[in-house]
Amino acid sequence: MPENKTMTIASGRRMRNLLTNPKYLMVYATIGIFLLIYLFGALLYGGRGFTSVRTFMLFFSDNAYIGISAVGMTLVLITGGIDLSVAAVASLTGMIIAYGTTVLGIHPLVCIGAALLVGVGLGALMGACIQYLNVPPFITTLTGMFFARGVCSLISRESISIKHPLIDALAGFKIYLTWPNAQGEWVKIKPVASIDLNTIAFILMIVIGTIILQKTRFGRNVYAIGGNEQSATLMGLPVSRTKVLVYAFNGLCSVLAGISYVLYVKSGWNLSLQGAELDVISACVIGGVMLSGGVGYMFGTLFGVLLKATIPAIITFNGSMNSWWAKIFTSVLLLLFIIIQRAVIASSQWVKKKE
Amino acid sequence: MKKTLISGAFVRSKLFWAIVAELLILLVGFILRPDFLSIQLRTLSDGTTVLFGTPVDIFNRASEITIIAMGMTLVIALGGTDISVGALVAVSGAIALKFLRWDVLVYTTPGDYTVQPYYLVILLPLLTCTLMGLFNGVLIGKLKLQPIIATLILMVGGRGIAQIVTNGKQFTTQYTPFKFIGNGSFLGLPLPILITLVVVLTVVLFVRRTSFGMFVESVGINPNASRVSGLRSDTIIIIVYVLTGLLSGISGLIYSSRISSNDSNNAGLGYEMDAILAVVIGGTSMTGGKFSLLGTVVGSLIIRTITTLVLYFGVVSEAIMAFKALIIAVVIVLQSEPVRNAIAKRRSKRIALGGEARA
Repeated sequence: MPENKTMTIASGRRMRNLLTNPKYLMVYATIGIFLLIYLFGALLYGGRGFTSVRTFMLFFSDNAYIGISAVGMTLVLITGGIDLSVAAVASLTGMIIAYGTTVLGIHPLVCIGAALLVGVGLGALMGACIQYLNVPPFITTLTGMFFARGVCSLISRESISIKHPLIDALAGFKIYLTWPNAQGEWVKIKPVASIDLNTIAFILMIVIGTIILQKTRFGRNVYAIGGNEQSATLMGLPVSRTKVLVYAFNGLCSVLAGISYVLYVKSGWNLSLQGAELDVISACVIGGVMLSGGVGYMFGTLFGVLLKATIPAIITFNGSMNSWWAKIFTSVLLLLFIIIQRAVIASSQWVKKKE
Repeated sequence: MKKTLISGAFVRSKLFWAIVAELLILLVGFILRPDFLSIQLRTLSDGTTVLFGTPVDIFNRASEITIIAMGMTLVIALGGTDISVGALVAVSGAIALKFLRWDVLVYTTPGDYTVQPYYLVILLPLLTCTLMGLFNGVLIGKLKLQPIIATLILMVGGRGIAQIVTNGKQFTTQYTPFKFIGNGSFLGLPLPILITLVVVLTVVLFVRRTSFGMFVESVGINPNASRVSGLRSDTIIIIVYVLTGLLSGISGLIYSSRISSNDSNNAGLGYEMDAILAVVIGGTSMTGGKFSLLGTVVGSLIIRTITTLVLYFGVVSEAIMAFKALIIAVVIVLQSEPVRNAIAKRRSKRIALGGEARA
């Protein structure tokens, strides 16, 4: 069957292409370094439960809000923009839900609806400001961040705890992981590991983000704008609409991240999540998204978030190191990654020149 | 044609709108509270006379941001951003207090003043911040990294370093020569204002009296063309980031002297944002190229005036951000290209019509 043979050769070549394509090198670097650091942690603290399924699931549920926000941020960064308002909008979401539910006695779902309106509206407004008034994204979203934080503080300066059956039920939702024991019965694994709503939302958002980026016309427009906005305009792509929509989508992601954070801490505070926008951006950068635009994959962002989660985990398992070492290690990682990025770009340019 | 009082080019410039905005905010303050603009001379208990009043306070409190924003203007003129300045402020304070309170760590008897030579307390923080600026500069100038990402490294790591220096502790000091930097006064003016004046004058002279400013603008407009025409753009980039590091160090000394303490978590928090805003409000474009140091000073004053005004009327301090955002949004929209062009067009049309009527 010659036809079949050519197909195998073709798929083999595709496989090889997939592995050696410089486009994916950054994602491989992220995954590789994640595995290395995980292995390092496993060798040092494997006996104390670092390798347990429970610890691994905690990477997801403890960082779900960073991950959900990183999905929107990846899109924004690929268009060549930046959004500094994500953490403030997430904090405002938490405050709206907390104040509405606890102080005003409104049903949480209504509060979530209001937060969605505010977040998506602010995102779209910032997108419009960037696109139509030519204000740099950095300044626009910085103003958005100040605005969201300020409004948050105007609502309340105190931390408000949330007590509502719906929020409790959502936060308490857990699917326990089970495995068959010797008798063939399904029992909970030990130490107990579970998948909670935050983990599900995180994975779901990554999947949705991947589909948007890779399978839709909108996603291709996002890449085109990041590659070269002028060319995209000349090609007749809907640049303005796409950019405004990207910022609106990022607003939606920030609100979802805020809801995820509410489920995680069950309270709203005007100073919560301070500086988290930089965690989100650095997770994206570690995941191989380039701030100059046009390059980045959701899969990379997923591993960027996980990689950032392993460092504090290792420091917690160590026990004797102070939490500020996490900052130092994260900055060393960032340095490492941008130098790898630089090397990848330089080498691919070199290869192109040789050809 | 009749010569207008203010030339069209000036009306079209962003600096003009920044000054208008500052005057408007001051006017609002004056209308709401007539004593908002009063300045008086008071004699302190130790016999020195100092100027008191809200305007003096605005200038005084704007010092930290103004000093950093001088360096930030050049950074932005190069087409870059430096978001590590806030962390550098924390590092500077941490090292100064570490050396001031050396006794806490070395000797068991606590004392209030340094056992280190005083010049070390001043020089070492400045030197460290300069070196950190050099680190940023080398990453951006030599390795051609993106400025936001390159400076993100020190922004994240800097506060960690500040905490390692002091081992996570917060020291306080009553050492008078050190407290004098932020709280003292000279010739009737608070010392931070004088330091700011010296810094602004030095930077302006350095940039405008030598060809350095032109080089910066040239690199900011087109780095490749500048390189081809014989400018060593990487050296210029490194000098600018080193300068910004040094200025952040000075700002950090003023801040830690004001509170007589170090605070690795909160010192300089959000300074990078305020400094960038000051530069942009002052009329320097984020895309690089032409810059205005005077505009930056006005921008920094606008930010401080808003803060003072809002604080004056007893609004909670965290909520200031919302007002800041609103006013800055107005300023930015007024300065944005489409709006400015529209205003300039209407004006030129009016002048053109007037000219025709006379002819």
